[in-house]
Amino acid sequence: MNIIILILILFFLGAIITAFSGKISALVQDILFLIVLVVPAVLFFTGVDMNTESIITFSQAQLTFGMTPLSYYFSLIVMGLAVLAGFYTVGQMNGKKRKGYYYLNYILSIGAMFGILMSKDFISFFIFWEIMTWASYLIVIYNGKNVQKIGIKYFVMSAIGAYAMLMAIVLIHSITGSFLITDLISEYTGMTQGMQLLIPALLLIGFGVKAALMPLHIWAPDAYSNAPMSYTAIFSGALSKMGIYGMVIVFLSLLSKVPEGALIRDIVAWLAAITAAISTLWAIKQDDAKRLLAYSSIGQLGYIIIGVAIGTPMSIIAGLFLAFMHGVFKSALFMVVGAVEKQTGTTDLTEVTGLIRKMPWTFLAALISIIALAGIPPLGGFVGKWMLYESLILSDHFMLVILVFFSSTAAFLYCYKILFGFFLGQEEKEWAHVKEAPAIMIVPMVILSISSIVLGTYPQLILKPINAAMMSFGLPDTYGNLWKESILFNKWGNQIALAPIMYGIMLVFVIVTIFLFFRNRSRTRYVTTKDISTSGEIIKEHENLTFSRGFFQPFLRAVEPVMKRQIDKYMLSFAKGVEDLFEFTRRIYNGNGQTYAIYAMIFLIILLMFGKNLLG
Amino acid sequence: MEGILMSILGAIATFLLAFVVGMTYGGIRRKVIARVQNRYGPPIYQNFIDAFKLFSKTTAVHHGAMHLLGPAFLMVSAVVALMIIPVLRDNIWFTNLNFKGDLIFLIYIMTFGPLGMALGAGQTGNPNSAIGVTRGLSQMVGFEIPWVMALVALMIKYNTTSVVDLMNVQNEVGQWLIFQNPFAFVAAILASLGMFRYAPFNIVGAPTELASGPASENGGKFLFTMMSAGSVFAFVKLTLLVDVFFGGASNLIELVIKTFLLYMIPVMYGVVNPRYRTEQAVTYFWGWPLLFGFLAIIYSVYF
Repeated sequence: MNIIILILILFFLGAIITAFSGKISALVQDILFLIVLVVPAVLFFTGVDMNTESIITFSQAQLTFGMTPLSYYFSLIVMGLAVLAGFYTVGQMNGKKRKGYYYLNYILSIGAMFGILMSKDFISFFIFWEIMTWASYLIVIYNGKNVQKIGIKYFVMSAIGAYAMLMAIVLIHSITGSFLITDLISEYTGMTQGMQLLIPALLLIGFGVKAALMPLHIWAPDAYSNAPMSYTAIFSGALSKMGIYGMVIVFLSLLSKVPEGALIRDIVAWLAAITAAISTLWAIKQDDAKRLLAYSSIGQLGYIIIGVAIGTPMSIIAGLFLAFMHGVFKSALFMVVGAVEKQTGTTDLTEVTGLIRKMPWTFLAALISIIALAGIPPLGGFVGKWMLYESLILSDHFMLVILVFFSSTAAFLYCYKILFGFFLGQEEKEWAHVKEAPAIMIVPMVILSISSIVLGTYPQLILKPINAAMMSFGLPDTYGNLWKESILFNKWGNQIALAPIMYGIMLVFVIVTIFLFFRNRSRTRYVTTKDISTSGEIIKEHENLTFSRGFFQPFLRAVEPVMKRQIDKYMLSFAKGVEDLFEFTRRIYNGNGQTYAIYAMIFLIILLMFGKNLLG
Repeated sequence: MEGILMSILGAIATFLLAFVVGMTYGGIRRKVIARVQNRYGPPIYQNFIDAFKLFSKTTAVHHGAMHLLGPAFLMVSAVVALMIIPVLRDNIWFTNLNFKGDLIFLIYIMTFGPLGMALGAGQTGNPNSAIGVTRGLSQMVGFEIPWVMALVALMIKYNTTSVVDLMNVQNEVGQWLIFQNPFAFVAAILASLGMFRYAPFNIVGAPTELASGPASENGGKFLFTMMSAGSVFAFVKLTLLVDVFFGGASNLIELVIKTFLLYMIPVMYGVVNPRYRTEQAVTYFWGWPLLFGFLAIIYSVYF
């Protein structure tokens, strides 16, 4: 049997078995869950290569599976995160209800993502896409809170995306007579101009929903924050990347082939830049860590989409690199929030304070991931950002550079907010009982944060698969041209050698740290956060001086004009309009036999009166 | 071996230079402010006395690991930025880490320190520190936009992201960039008003309002580290402006004259101004500075 089919069967069969194994014992269920995640990952990394292809034939349709260099790159994200988040999940779900339901959907969505990446035709692509949507929808409503509002929002937006994609698939089949993605690519340049624009646009709507591109993003903040954090790590880290995966195919193999494509590419890039800027401002406003990170995810996906949409070799590298990095640091951050939620019971940044001494490992993971998110050298986020700026300036998108710079500087604000809110500030008695999260939750976080350090120094680890993926799209080899072992070049003949800089910074850092940290630590004594300078006033134990409400109020006042307009409101008023239309239709079809009799009468009268003229 | 020794000695020399120059400028600033306010003022070497006093004091208490690391982060960022900036043109003593240093790297590494410092200030639990930090970060978003616009204007005009290359361009043309793109200079210098955090943009420390803000729980060696990092940072910013807009300097005297004149702009601007509110300090940079930033980019693209 072919190995890809085997992995898919393992996933789907394993999901069902895991779901029902809870009847035996919870431990068996946990172990089965991990086995179902780890074994396919091992099989994938050992057994699958670019040549494995398999075809399943149903009566009429052929489902073709196989791996491309691009799907290999995205599989790295999906499989890696699935395993790490899987271990974390076991820790987080310990003692929760409806574990079987959760595990089932978790594995199903991972399997579906793997299926999407391995699909070479649109039929299986669409089937797995829908399984992924359904599984993630069921997890979003797992908590049972606000199912009406949040679940339906996610579902309606997903349905819009799915219908757009389905329409595109039908169009493609009617033109090319085949469902194969390669056939679309080969026949695309021969299509009429209208089709050349319509098909990518419809596909982009489908992918844009999952990638949370404005104005299709409105489901994301609610859905991300309502799902359990162990799944949101997957949601934001891997599932949203499926949208990016589709976009890369559309941009690189379709839109870059025709001159009109430049228009759509620019529109998408601008939408993404506006998404990044606005959602960053909204992230700053949030007081709930989950929603803050949800908005931040939308913003970060914006950078990725910009990179992919601009379409120069360097910007594509930047986009794909950031996609990986975002998967790494954002899932670590969602895990951190999940750990804090498990230990304290809340994720409200205005309530929890001063956990740094109680949850040091969680803090460490949060700190490193935040530094990577903020794009500060020498961590991985910087490498991606640097390439993105460089490529935007080189391709003459000056205003986009400013927008990206604005949002990435404004990102410091929410970065600080989340670190300060949870871990710093005054230590209160209310949280004195809090302990560090269990090791099974800590280890995945720490592994992820270590990998963002490693990728900052040795970006070639993932630049190699990126390069292979890009070459498979017919782009020139970028090795030695844009990057070489831990060195990045730019077109202007400069180069940035990451490893020496990293070591330079480390050296200075170590020297200064030794000088200050250990020296000061040994000579000073620890005092609590109640023992601070307050101009002579003595703080009582119960007095909470933490500054956490209205954290960036002055800044938000400064940017208020931008935040007045909300796409949500426009969408709602549109929905209201549609509802009114339905209401009007309902008045006509009111289900009353008498009314229908009148309609029939009126129709007959019209026929009698004007029949001659009409039929002439 | 000799090369490594030389570069280590060069790094130390650069650091000492930055420290001395930054401290002296701080002293001069105090003197200037005092004279404007019709006081006699402290001697210009007062900052050295203060630094020495702070350094020799024993620190008694700390608030935890992040608090201890905060000033270290600030110092690291200052020193790394200093190592990357070309201090003098073609001088073996001050080449340092110049890996054809690029501007984007510099922009980011300069924000690393304040962010680390902010974390340190956060752990102290002093509400004034946190308020100061939020103000500082807000303000950073404000001035970063015109600052980046000015730099982007230069980058696209001369097709480089390297400070060294920008200096070489000015050498070859024989004209400083301030004359080649005056709008960029105006945008950069207006942004630098916020970067120096002198009045009216001194909302972070905010004397008499926030009790010195993020610095409020730090004394002794902590404060010394912060003070010297601040001086080094001031030197870095001034040198960067000189390198980019005034063709760099070929000897120390030229460097001192150029940086001093530039330094007087934020000082003089601040000395006659009261303090802004935070939102004013943010939106200030989205008015005229932003317009000049746009003009700079348009000028670069079309002329």
